[in-house]
Amino acid sequence: MRGRFLTCLLAAMLLSLGLPVLASAAPTATLSAAFTPEQLGKRTTLHFGFAFSAEPGQVPPPLTQIELRYPNNLGIGISGLGLATCAPATLSELGPKGCPTNSIMGRGEAYTGIVLGVTPIRENAPIWIVRAPNQEGHISVLFYSEGSTPVDTHIEFPGILLPANSPFGGVVSIGIPLVPTLPGAPYISVIHLHATLGPIGVTYYEHVGGVTLAYTPKGILLPSSCPHGGFPFAATFSFLDGSEAKASTAITCPDPRKKKRR
Amino acid sequence: MSKALALLLCTGACVAHASQALKASDTAHLRYLSASGSLLLEEGQTSGTLPGRMRARVNVGATFTGNFVTYTRYGTIVGHGSATPHGSGTYESFSGTLIVTGGSGRYAHAHGKAGLYGTFNRDNYAFVVQTTGTLLY
Repeated sequence: MRGRFLTCLLAAMLLSLGLPVLASAAPTATLSAAFTPEQLGKRTTLHFGFAFSAEPGQVPPPLTQIELRYPNNLGIGISGLGLATCAPATLSELGPKGCPTNSIMGRGEAYTGIVLGVTPIRENAPIWIVRAPNQEGHISVLFYSEGSTPVDTHIEFPGILLPANSPFGGVVSIGIPLVPTLPGAPYISVIHLHATLGPIGVTYYEHVGGVTLAYTPKGILLPSSCPHGGFPFAATFSFLDGSEAKASTAITCPDPRKKKRR
Repeated sequence: MSKALALLLCTGACVAHASQALKASDTAHLRYLSASGSLLLEEGQTSGTLPGRMRARVNVGATFTGNFVTYTRYGTIVGHGSATPHGSGTYESFSGTLIVTGGSGRYAHAHGKAGLYGTFNRDNYAFVVQTTGTLLY
């Protein structure tokens, strides 16, 4: 609390000095993805993340939109994740703790920042991914993030699952709201983010014969064969200043010789 | 068989196949057999106008797509379909279109288009599929 107060005070002082607010233009992006475990034909958790470059002492422009493409034939729809839904109003008012446990699909962390004057202020903010009621006939998830410094706030934003052309199985279209900080100060920028979609760290509950049982959701089913070149991911990031950044990656196919040795 | 008779038969069977139209409304209860990624192999009984057994491969993605074979008393009916999932939670409803592209036996020349509706159980991967349309054969 004291730290937050000092930070805000410092920010206000810097602003009152009229120092320029810095933000880099045209950032470059990197995308990462991995499966845990990575075994064909088995259930897994998907790890994904992205990061943006910026000039030293600066932060990327505020992010406004992400289009994340994921590989074809990834069994997300049969993962057993998101069996319940959380209404946006519930998430906004009560946070993820107010949502049904069986709506939690993943977790993560975002590293965000702003530059006030010449002072970069950065923080880590936890992220939750929850299943939401469908939007306009499309499967929908909600992302929830809460931060404490420099701005004590929480945001939730929707991701809509849309069809995509091969070799992708779908695209998650995510609109990111602008997060104001202090009067006259820039919006918060995302510097990097990583999250998981899958059963790692997720516990669900079911009622069986009047008893509530805890269980771990099955997870995303990987196909029994690996696509040529691995499992492809691609993303397009749009920023408030109108710039765009694209990134792609692929999860390499597991070495079949390793499987034979086991 | 004389050449004239053979020509007559070929004219009837090969060139101008007389088609019949059948208004069909059926329900299939499919149970999960196996999966690879988002691709499910399902099988189950169909009841209604064309009772029999159906085997289907369904890709459960942002949209549901798949192909099927229905084994009836008088032959098979094959085709493919596509549907948009609507619901959320354990039971996900969907609606779309089913296209019949061929078959065997009585339905060797089958073709047609039907409405495709149903539910998908995300817990045990069972489908209930309803189709309503006109089958030409």
